Amino acid sequence: MFRDKESFSGPRQIAAGAMLTALALALSYTERFIPLQLLIPLPGVKLGLANLITLFALYFWGAGQALGILVLRCFLGAVFGGGITGLLFSLTGGLLALGVMTLARRIRWLSIYGVSILGAAAHNIGQIAAAVLLMHSVYVAAYLPWLLLVSLLTGSLMAFCAAGCFRGLLSAGFRPTT
Amino acid sequence: MHGFSEPFPLKPRLGDLLAVLLVAVLGVGVFLAFLPGSSQTPQTLEIYQDGQLLRRVSLTEDQTFVMEGAYKNTVEIRGGRVAIVESDCPGEDCVHSGWCNTPGQSIVCLPNRVELRILGTPQEGEVDGVSG
Repeated sequence: MFRDKESFSGPRQIAAGAMLTALALALSYTERFIPLQLLIPLPGVKLGLANLITLFALYFWGAGQALGILVLRCFLGAVFGGGITGLLFSLTGGLLALGVMTLARRIRWLSIYGVSILGAAAHNIGQIAAAVLLMHSVYVAAYLPWLLLVSLLTGSLMAFCAAGCFRGLLSAGFRPTT
Repeated sequence: MHGFSEPFPLKPRLGDLLAVLLVAVLGVGVFLAFLPGSSQTPQTLEIYQDGQLLRRVSLTEDQTFVMEGAYKNTVEIRGGRVAIVESDCPGEDCVHSGWCNTPGQSIVCLPNRVELRILGTPQEGEVDGVSG
């Protein structure tokens, strides 16, 4: 598909970005039907399926494209039912996670596992920060330790999934453009 | 194995343990910061909505009431504990929080902007000691 740098630009970049945005949106919607909160009854606990797309965009296309997909996904998610509160939460969590993962990806002794775990933790910190602002109460942060604990598990699981996808893509000839 | 070199590390590395450690230390730090004092016994519940303290109720009196707002939360106080037993908010995270009685703990319903905060009984003069 995009085997060299020249072929990934203009219309192709827009089309691929749009497909990935749609996929991210579908994944974050599907996630609502996975009853993870029955296992771990905490607000904000989720697998982070949409982060697979952010990871892919970050690793193969760079932070700029990942940012575009993330922001579009959050706004479209709000339009399709998340509402303004949902937008605030997904944006603060998502932007902080992307920022942290962009930096973490540059650290050579971190694999995709470390990057994904730090991203999941940053997502939770961003969401709790938004909740603290929204509720005018620091007591909401008492949930954070449990969310961080869960993020170690979900971050590792998503890294495992992403690593599998990436290996498949690489062996099919797909190469990062960054 | 696949005949290509991975352009980025896809297998777990030893350095990832540092990332895990960082998250764990942060979690334990926040946990300790919110650890309630052991000398406190839960007695009072503060009810907040939109960040405003609406009222204080005693946890020793069993009662059931409804918090109106964007949604309806049915709050029940029984045997010194409190729970949101029923809610029409999406997700019902507040209901899943279950029964709470630890000072410093709170039950939160974000969609309804409701926070039920459990207070301990402060020791005599403790508040004045801090402020004065």
